[in-house]
Amino acid sequence: MLGQYATTLTFIALGAIFAYSFYAVLIAGQLSLGQAGFASLAAFSGAYLAPSGDDVGDVAALLIAVAIGMSVGAIGAVVLGLPTMHLRGVFLAIATLGFAEAVRVVLLNQEWTGGAQGLGVPRVLTVGMAWTALALVAYWFWRMGRSRYGRALEAIREDELAARSMGIDVGRHRLAAFVTAGAVAGLYGVLYAYYVRLIAPNDFDFVAAVEGLVTAVVGGSTMFLGPLLGSGFQTIVPEIQRAVGVEAGWIRPFLAGLLLLVVILFLPGGLASLLPRRTRMPSGAADDDDTTGLAGRRHPAAGEPVITLAGLGKEYGGVHAVRGVDLEIRAGEVVGLIGPNGAGKTTLVNMISGLVPPSSGSATVLGTAIGSTPVHRIAAAGVSRTFQHSKLFNRLSALENVLVGAHLVSRPTFLRRLLWLPSARRDERAALRQAARCLERVGLTDLAASRAEALSYGDQRRLEIARALASDPSLLILDEPAAGMNHVEAGRLSELIRSLALDGLTILFIEHNVGMVLQTCTRVVVLNFGEVIASGTPDQVAADPAVIEAYLGSADDDADGGPLAGSPRAGATAAGAEAAPPDAVANLRPGAAGTLDTPDSTPRDAT
Amino acid sequence: MRTKLHTVAAAGAAALLLASCGSGESGGGGDSAASGGLTGEGSGESCTIEGEVPLGAVLSLTGAAASYGESQQRGLELAAGELAEQDGVTYDLTIEDDQTDPRQAITLFEQFVSDGASLIIGPTLSNAAVQADPIAQEAGVPVLGISNTAAGVTEIGDYIFRDSLTEQAVIPQTIAQATEQFGLEDVVVMYSNDDAFTESGYEAFAAALEEEGVTVSETITFSKSDTDFRALLTQAQESDPDALVVSALIEAAVPLVTQARELGIDVPIIGGNGFNNPTLMADAGEAAEGVVVGAAWNSSSDNPENQAFLEAYEAEYGAQPDQFAAQAYTGLKLVDQAVRANCSAERDSIQEALGQIEDVPTVLGEFSIDENRDADHPAVVQVVENGAFAVLE
Repeated sequence: MLGQYATTLTFIALGAIFAYSFYAVLIAGQLSLGQAGFASLAAFSGAYLAPSGDDVGDVAALLIAVAIGMSVGAIGAVVLGLPTMHLRGVFLAIATLGFAEAVRVVLLNQEWTGGAQGLGVPRVLTVGMAWTALALVAYWFWRMGRSRYGRALEAIREDELAARSMGIDVGRHRLAAFVTAGAVAGLYGVLYAYYVRLIAPNDFDFVAAVEGLVTAVVGGSTMFLGPLLGSGFQTIVPEIQRAVGVEAGWIRPFLAGLLLLVVILFLPGGLASLLPRRTRMPSGAADDDDTTGLAGRRHPAAGEPVITLAGLGKEYGGVHAVRGVDLEIRAGEVVGLIGPNGAGKTTLVNMISGLVPPSSGSATVLGTAIGSTPVHRIAAAGVSRTFQHSKLFNRLSALENVLVGAHLVSRPTFLRRLLWLPSARRDERAALRQAARCLERVGLTDLAASRAEALSYGDQRRLEIARALASDPSLLILDEPAAGMNHVEAGRLSELIRSLALDGLTILFIEHNVGMVLQTCTRVVVLNFGEVIASGTPDQVAADPAVIEAYLGSADDDADGGPLAGSPRAGATAAGAEAAPPDAVANLRPGAAGTLDTPDSTPRDAT
Repeated sequence: MRTKLHTVAAAGAAALLLASCGSGESGGGGDSAASGGLTGEGSGESCTIEGEVPLGAVLSLTGAAASYGESQQRGLELAAGELAEQDGVTYDLTIEDDQTDPRQAITLFEQFVSDGASLIIGPTLSNAAVQADPIAQEAGVPVLGISNTAAGVTEIGDYIFRDSLTEQAVIPQTIAQATEQFGLEDVVVMYSNDDAFTESGYEAFAAALEEEGVTVSETITFSKSDTDFRALLTQAQESDPDALVVSALIEAAVPLVTQARELGIDVPIIGGNGFNNPTLMADAGEAAEGVVVGAAWNSSSDNPENQAFLEAYEAEYGAQPDQFAAQAYTGLKLVDQAVRANCSAERDSIQEALGQIEDVPTVLGEFSIDENRDADHPAVVQVVENGAFAVLE
């Protein structure tokens, strides 16, 4: 019974392999149409260069051609990828389409390819071989899915900037994904050639590229079975139409197009979204303090300088967002950065975390000079941050978000996962435990399996903190972490921050909730019009007339309560914090943290 | 482990899905072939075959080659209608669309082979024929190409036949006659190099021109999707040729001819098979006058088969047939001839009888299948006169 459907099954397998070459980059958020070019180059060079089946045996000839084709595809991807990897979205699509078109035209005009009439190739591929190849490709992407590398690609797709801030080298990962796409497309090209007997450059034209892309998207580009489902769908639809007797002619492509529309409209995640997705939660992992399997980090000892800014400035077309900021933050400090809207607070922390290069001055963060250092290097030095507007990986679960946060402290597992090495499993479990601990710390354990985008606003803010904590940072930068929180939540957040400080973490945070800042920080820095107008203990700053005039906006000179009462949001928090003096860090008892901030007994290597 | 099971389950479900949607298609033709109902008694017109003779046709009804496939479908259906009125043999002709996609052509060939078709007609394009015909050859199912003109198609094996003259058969005759008629000394050759059909047409032109001793002062290539040829034509004009020799599909032929005349190029334009289409006169109008086209089918031939065909086609579809329709119509008639010759629709019997077709009067003229299983019948060189093809004499 299989024999009757051998052709259909073979084309499903071939279509799926081609779709995987699109999946390989779609999973990293890249829209490329160059795979047709890679497949074409691979098919022609493989078929042309491989020895004849008469000399070495058919299967050997096919395997040699596959090796040649995959190498050619991968090399083509490097050559195309290096200059185009900085392009995004539709620009990358156009550039890669241009490449595929150029390949087609060049091959058309070559003597050895047979031009438009094509190159004859013996049929060697059987349905079994096609499905074996497909199984290997699918296996590759399946094992990639839950590896550190696979998560990093997904993170890049969801939010590239946040991925960089988690220490992911986006350029390298994108290129790696692109090369994978090239190799898989090459595999497809060669297998296709050895099945259809005749290949012409026009077999790999724009239409073919779009078809591969559509197959991947219809199947679902976020789940490894997607391309297979997509190819099954695309290949079987004409078969079904034939079987039920839809008359040959325009009506069939019309119905197929309509069906495609329906799938995309009602299953935006592709056919794969019909399959349930599970999120694993390590059982009792959070109770386990075992940190083996995590890369160790060296944290600066208390009092060592963490951030040193000298005359740091940023200018946007004549507007001085930040100017001449001199600031030193030492390990163990909790520094609050306050100031009116537009004072340059976010610009300042963006410079510190490497997102924005300064226009003047110099800065050293954890021994790394900022300016030309890429964001992921600064993250690797131990800087972790949250964003003013949540930049979560929306389609990933809360747990996966935090796992990406643990990128820097976990070990690469993909290649070992391919081989089922137990050490990879151990390392993955270690990363899971780390993530679970961080989730527990912010009180999100119960929501670990929820998609980030489905969380409430406050939970999203907390998830961002958990994600930032997962990299075991030396410096944590929080950009308005309490924005949108009610006073109870803000109070808990304050307690969390203090408990983190107790662990020796250096924290720099921007917050408009002045009460919370005064209550949480060891030092407060006030910015106005890009300049530091005050810096000191919460008491000193709250009493500073310049600060009151510029920001706190109250003439009441009651140093303790006055400025706080002036802010509606701060008032409530301050009321809840009466028991603790503003510089409460010293007074904090671990027990006071409640469920939210169980003190982390993780040994932090301070030496 | 749970993930693994999950994967296995999904794959199993996919396999089940495949099995269930395929199961409806089997049986049918295969059964009748097995029961031996395809051999009858008598011969020729008196032949009577009990069972229905299953025939498959793979045409490009949608996609890039749809315009050819539609003509072919009309030709086949017209012939099938006429055959249905004859007693003795009943044909069950299934026309399928390959969407101008070789993968579909391969799938359809496999399907017809396993469904027990006595013979497969098609596919429309030569490249699809190279990819799909080997399947029929390996299974011992005769194939009759009705529009494949590329060299090498029938070399695939002894079950592959065609009733379409190759470019190599038509073009030398065209060039020889045009050279004689117009005294050609030097010409400019233009062709689209990204299409298998036009490229092989070009090769035939180049060989024929060399044979006739005509100088090619320039060879200009373009893409089959081009529609603006003014720059290329100006370039051609510079070498002041005696004629333009063009190998292009009809989509490019119409604008090329129109623009050439606009630019004042009034030398003869000699076209390949792609020009052999009533659309040329319909769309290019005046500009088409004087275009010389070599053809396998003489549309103005007054042989009785052709006259009857023209009349029946016009009555059925209200339009003029083109060469694709004529060759398709002829093809099915030839199949009937072959089946009746041995009064058997068994695959091997049809294969044997097709190979022996000789001097059969058809729409295309006196028709024979040569020892290479290619068509052998007079070609014709036509020239457009007063909006219609006339024989160049």
